[in-house]
Amino acid sequence: MKNNTYLPFRSEILEVIKHAELEYTFRMAYDRGAEHPVKPGQFFEISIPKYGEAPISVSGITDHSLDFTIRKVGSLTNEIFENYVGGHFFLRGPYGNGFDVNMFKGKEIILVAGGSGLSPIHGVIDYFADHMDECERLTVIVGFKSPHDILFRDDLKRWKQSGMNLIYTVDKADDDPDYDGHVGLVTQYIPEMNLQDPDNAIAVVVGPPMMIKFSIKTLLGLGFDEEKIWVSESRKMCCGVGKCGHCRIGEIYVCQDGPVFKYTQVRSFID
Amino acid sequence: MLDMDCGKLKKNAYRVTKHRGITSSRVRVPGGHLTADVLGKIQEIAETYGNGQVHLTIRQGFEILGIPFEKVPEVNKALQPIIEELDINQEAPGTGYPASGTRNIMACVGNRVCPFGNYDTTALAKRIEKAIFPNDLHVKVALTGCPNDCCKVRMHDFGIIGMTEPQFDPSRCISCGACVKKCKQLSVEALHMDKFRPVRNVEKCIGCGVCAHACPNRAWTRSKTQYFRITLLGRSGKKNPRMGVDFIKWADADSVVKIVSNVYDYARKYIDPEAPGGKEHIGYMVDRTGPEEFLRYILRDVHLPEKAEVYKPLYWNGIRYWGLK
Amino acid sequence: MGYQLTQDGLRQVFADWSREYDIYAPKRFEGTGRFSETDVIRYGTVRTPEEVVWDQRSDYSWKEAVLPVCQTLLYFTEETVTEAKDPERGKIVLLRSCDLAAVKRFDYIFLQNGPEDSYYKDRRDKIKFVLMGCDHSFEGCFCVSMGTNRTAGWDAALNRREDGYQAEAADSFLAAALEKAGTPCGDVVPDGVDANDFTVTVPEDLTSAVAQSTIWDEYDKRCFKCGRCTLVCPTCTCWSMQDLYYTENGQAGERRRVQASCMIDGYTDVAGGLKFRQKGGERMRFKVLHKVLDFKKRAGYQMCVGCGRCDAICPEYISFVRCIEKLADGMKEVTENEK
Repeated sequence: MKNNTYLPFRSEILEVIKHAELEYTFRMAYDRGAEHPVKPGQFFEISIPKYGEAPISVSGITDHSLDFTIRKVGSLTNEIFENYVGGHFFLRGPYGNGFDVNMFKGKEIILVAGGSGLSPIHGVIDYFADHMDECERLTVIVGFKSPHDILFRDDLKRWKQSGMNLIYTVDKADDDPDYDGHVGLVTQYIPEMNLQDPDNAIAVVVGPPMMIKFSIKTLLGLGFDEEKIWVSESRKMCCGVGKCGHCRIGEIYVCQDGPVFKYTQVRSFID
Repeated sequence: MLDMDCGKLKKNAYRVTKHRGITSSRVRVPGGHLTADVLGKIQEIAETYGNGQVHLTIRQGFEILGIPFEKVPEVNKALQPIIEELDINQEAPGTGYPASGTRNIMACVGNRVCPFGNYDTTALAKRIEKAIFPNDLHVKVALTGCPNDCCKVRMHDFGIIGMTEPQFDPSRCISCGACVKKCKQLSVEALHMDKFRPVRNVEKCIGCGVCAHACPNRAWTRSKTQYFRITLLGRSGKKNPRMGVDFIKWADADSVVKIVSNVYDYARKYIDPEAPGGKEHIGYMVDRTGPEEFLRYILRDVHLPEKAEVYKPLYWNGIRYWGLK
Repeated sequence: MGYQLTQDGLRQVFADWSREYDIYAPKRFEGTGRFSETDVIRYGTVRTPEEVVWDQRSDYSWKEAVLPVCQTLLYFTEETVTEAKDPERGKIVLLRSCDLAAVKRFDYIFLQNGPEDSYYKDRRDKIKFVLMGCDHSFEGCFCVSMGTNRTAGWDAALNRREDGYQAEAADSFLAAALEKAGTPCGDVVPDGVDANDFTVTVPEDLTSAVAQSTIWDEYDKRCFKCGRCTLVCPTCTCWSMQDLYYTENGQAGERRRVQASCMIDGYTDVAGGLKFRQKGGERMRFKVLHKVLDFKKRAGYQMCVGCGRCDAICPEYISFVRCIEKLADGMKEVTENEK
């Protein structure tokens, strides 16, 4: 069959990085970058044996690999998560619009993420961590449930050193005396970003629906221009190509028109 | 001067009432289904010969009340169009209902009306009626469309419960789980999901048809063959009232008719010759002969479908009044 | 050029067509209804004209011709993924004007909304459509209101007459059989209705703001979310992916797509427990607005084709048509609330 959209390609698992009890990053071989370049915020449909196919955001991009950070849910077995180096998954994609790093260049960037919502903007943060001179200022505010749920610990350390304004916080840190970060919801820390250049600022919010809603409310409360806020949405998707219908919201297909949207557009979404 | 052969009167489906010289006419409606014009005729008889009152009987009949003994022949003539309309077996036209021992065959409304009914209960009731009436032996048969048993058939000598064998077409299943959910809520939890498909526990399934009713895409449908669960020897009464027990699961309609018909040879042989009015619960006979002999009689020349499961041993419990064995 | 056909003539035409194609038409499936001893009219392969049901609307639509209830897409082993080849012959689909209009909606989703769906295209390219003329409306039809009562684009058209059939074919393969078995007559115009028993008007000023109105609330209780309305709908295209493993270790299996419904639980569930639209009213709103608003915003024309199947199948007697009628009130309500 010509142009079979659903036929995945095989990709070797190069490395498995365990972040938290339930969250892992799979570093997958990817050598199609020339024909099919991948942007942060795009996603792939990944076939995981016994689990089926799931849309997963790219959380890291190199010339020869892609990272996918996957939360272990339901039927996934430890075997798959822990003994999979040298194995492979099947992938298809990239899908969705993703972020164009150019739209952030020269701006004061504010990135707010909750939990695995960090994945879609991970590539953006990485880029500016390496090119701090290409933006005016970068503030990253990330929230996790607890110290055990913190993702990308090594990256957080690296980012901290790059000179960006990095705030990470957990909802609760009760049971972890070693935790030295902030405690509380991300919305609590948004006012602390100490916005320098409101007219030249751009913000992205990614995470669970409630977290997105209240983070934006906080930003707007601080006088942030609503036209300069971007959101990455996630919905159930079976195809990634506008066919299965699950991700539709009104006339919008998240997989086709998103997952990255302007807040002014998302505002009118009614699920 | 009142002189009435009460035995004959009763066999003619009249009641000897507490009011001296006053009887009532019992109009059986097999399968409980009738055209409205029969009601008009009942009204006419009640107003012409009776006291204008009618009692709805528990066995789906009408008892036309307040009829003086001397009106019985006229009432019998007036009953003739009803008897014909209801297609009652009769020996001599114009003589009323010919027997009263075997009771009216009851049926729930069945699949003519009810969404859950697995068969046409009235039609099968009428078929059994044709096979066993008229008869003076005391036999009670009741039919119900599905295992909801709205007709309370387990209170009868023969209870007939409609079943269907669910047919599954995986190519029409969308994995919605409606069947599993409904089987759990309304029936016996015979379904579970495995690999996106419902799996039916054949042992557990009672053939109620809830899955076929719930399925939105016609993946579950009913079998072409209609099946029946037959329950035996439920009874009310003063001696050891009890629920009928399961006898055969997945019987077919022919077997049902044959089994019910066979009971009369057994009853003629084993009825207590001293039984008042020549009537005795079949169950009391079985208490004397033991179930094996009873089963030998009722299964004579019955050819059950391969699928049929015959339960054994049969055991009845029920209410035991103090001091009775 | 049209042809007059006797019953025998059409039988011969069917035999000729069947040599190369499966004739897929509304057909009676005896005893398969929701209730015992009731039938279902749905699509299936027929070999003779007698099997085709003309005198009532089919309960389910033609859509299984392009979107089977279950369709295997891929087979996989530990090491490989292979395409499932569609072994099927082409189909000659007999359908009504409303359903032919629905084909356009299917084409939009599967061929235009994002990249082409090769599985769809493969089946679609092998289909010839034969329009069944409608000489009267069935109960609940509202094709005229939706503008689908006379749809062009058929490969052949068939009118039923008391003494036989009239046929016309645009397609040469279909025409050849007609020529062989029929008597030439003048041009045949497919029967079509110009009025239904009622009209349905989608408010001109309808916007998604109507989602906030209270008109949806009654469906929270009335709708039990069985999804029949969407399964019978000739324009509902949704499906879910299922991976099925043959072996315990999950190393061999197949991937298939299965028709799905926005009315049924699980449609929006994502890993991690997030769900949208739990209430019947919300699902009704999502479905209804897709049919008469959202699809049009994207594709430029209404999705609903007015076949009336959803109203006919609903076990709770929820009427889509009645709901459309309420939209004007809903708009009035939200507009007034804004003031």
